[in-house]
Amino acid sequence: MKKLKAAIQYECLTSVKYVWLFYLIQYAAVALITVIVMLSVNTTEEVGTNCLEFNTLIYVGILGGLGAKEDFRMLIQNGFTRRCIFLAAASMFAFICGVMALVDTAVGQILHLVFPAYSSVFGALYGYENVFANWIWLFCFYMLVCSLLYLAVLAINKAGKTISICLGVGLGAAVLVIVALFRYVVPGETAAKIAEAAAAAMGYLSDGTVNRVFPVLTMLVLAALSGAGAYAVLRRTEL
Amino acid sequence: MSKIQIKNVTKRYGDVTALDHVSFSFKSGKIYGFLGRNGAGKSTLINIIANRIFPDEGAVFIDGLPARENMDVHEKIFCMSEADLYDTGMKVRDHFKWTGRFYDSFDVEKAFRIAEEFGLDTGKRFKALSKGYQSIFKLTIALALNVPYVIFDEPVLGLDANHREMFYSLLLKEFEENERTLIIATHLIEEVANIIEEVVLIDNGRVLLQESTEELLETGYCVSGFAKDVDAYCLGKNVIGTDELGSLKLAYICGEKTEIPQGSSLQITAMNLQKLFVKLTGKAVDGNAVAGNAVAEKGDMKL
Repeated sequence: MKKLKAAIQYECLTSVKYVWLFYLIQYAAVALITVIVMLSVNTTEEVGTNCLEFNTLIYVGILGGLGAKEDFRMLIQNGFTRRCIFLAAASMFAFICGVMALVDTAVGQILHLVFPAYSSVFGALYGYENVFANWIWLFCFYMLVCSLLYLAVLAINKAGKTISICLGVGLGAAVLVIVALFRYVVPGETAAKIAEAAAAAMGYLSDGTVNRVFPVLTMLVLAALSGAGAYAVLRRTEL
Repeated sequence: MSKIQIKNVTKRYGDVTALDHVSFSFKSGKIYGFLGRNGAGKSTLINIIANRIFPDEGAVFIDGLPARENMDVHEKIFCMSEADLYDTGMKVRDHFKWTGRFYDSFDVEKAFRIAEEFGLDTGKRFKALSKGYQSIFKLTIALALNVPYVIFDEPVLGLDANHREMFYSLLLKEFEENERTLIIATHLIEEVANIIEEVVLIDNGRVLLQESTEELLETGYCVSGFAKDVDAYCLGKNVIGTDELGSLKLAYICGEKTEIPQGSSLQITAMNLQKLFVKLTGKAVDGNAVAGNAVAEKGDMKL
């Protein structure tokens, strides 16, 4: 347990320092854009940008990818098992995603309050009433992206270049086939039911109400599945 | 029970068999020379011992505990790699700090002391260090770790002669102060010949021999003289190689020495470890040496 704690500390402390740098650069850019908009349009209601959470998504995506390569090498050099490495990476993802979701929730809510024209991702989809729902939704969203990227990089690393390219092409083809199936093969009623189920999974129920728990559960399940897949690959990963 | 036991380990990469049913042990409290040519399988075996890659068959045990995916062996073994696996953007002093958190047996003060002796700037990031100082950084960590088994994979890569001398002297000092198992995998055989107590020689994925350095050097010798006299002397002996110059011949022999016939032109001289290594592995490559003799046990060098 002590060893695992040290690995988690390593993962968290060496990753969190870049979070502040990321926000510093992001908000400096936002401040600059806002000033330019203020001077150009002569309004104090526009920030000049929306949905800043997408920038965080890129950041956590990179974090997921790096976790699979750089940190794996460092920790395996220091004698840690793959199980320990996975637990440390998962803890780091949870920690970073939790912190960034908190910052993004607070900033999104405040920006919307000060500049009503500004929309955060969660606010645009589910409204601004529930701050905790905003945080947990963002947290799950970031965790899902982290887990997917972690799984993808591990799988690419394991499969090698040629197989990965083939898989990518296969995945692209599968998307086209699924879209075509929905348009021309699957009966309209079935397609509508599937779409309805997907919407419900994201919280939009058929009776017109919005459920904020469903999307959280959906993303948690998907993140857990990706995580389980990543662990299955990591267990077989060699240096 | 105190040993690294390699049991029937096989590792294949496609059609290439990197390790072929390898079985032997590194016993406790000795300095080993783990020798072999490029591609012999040294690094593959080291990586299996360090749980970095997995064997296709067989297993490695450290003090009776399986080495594969087992945190119970974490404080027992450390492997200094030839490959750079460290966080390249991290400062040396931070690496020391983190290694101290990862290993209970890591002496941070000693690491700083060794770094100072080598002139390693601990304020520099790993990637900013020269190749030689990157090796010094890695061996500093290995020397400051008080675990029972330490493996050095090409420890003096890129080091100048002064630093190599310093390393060997520090290694011996460490061993004197705290006896443990040190395994040195290297190509610079003559440099480690005076340090290592036992040699494990690997070639083509098989262990050619495991023997104490002293006994090995006693067993190997050279006979030189006129070719016909040398040929006559070598009859029935285990000749591992020959060199010829005009009518003169030099034969490298493993096994018991016999008396030189009186009045003969022959001369017997000792064979150094490097020459022995070159001849043994050269013979193995020729394909007439190792078949059926994966391991030549102590005192029984049937090649």
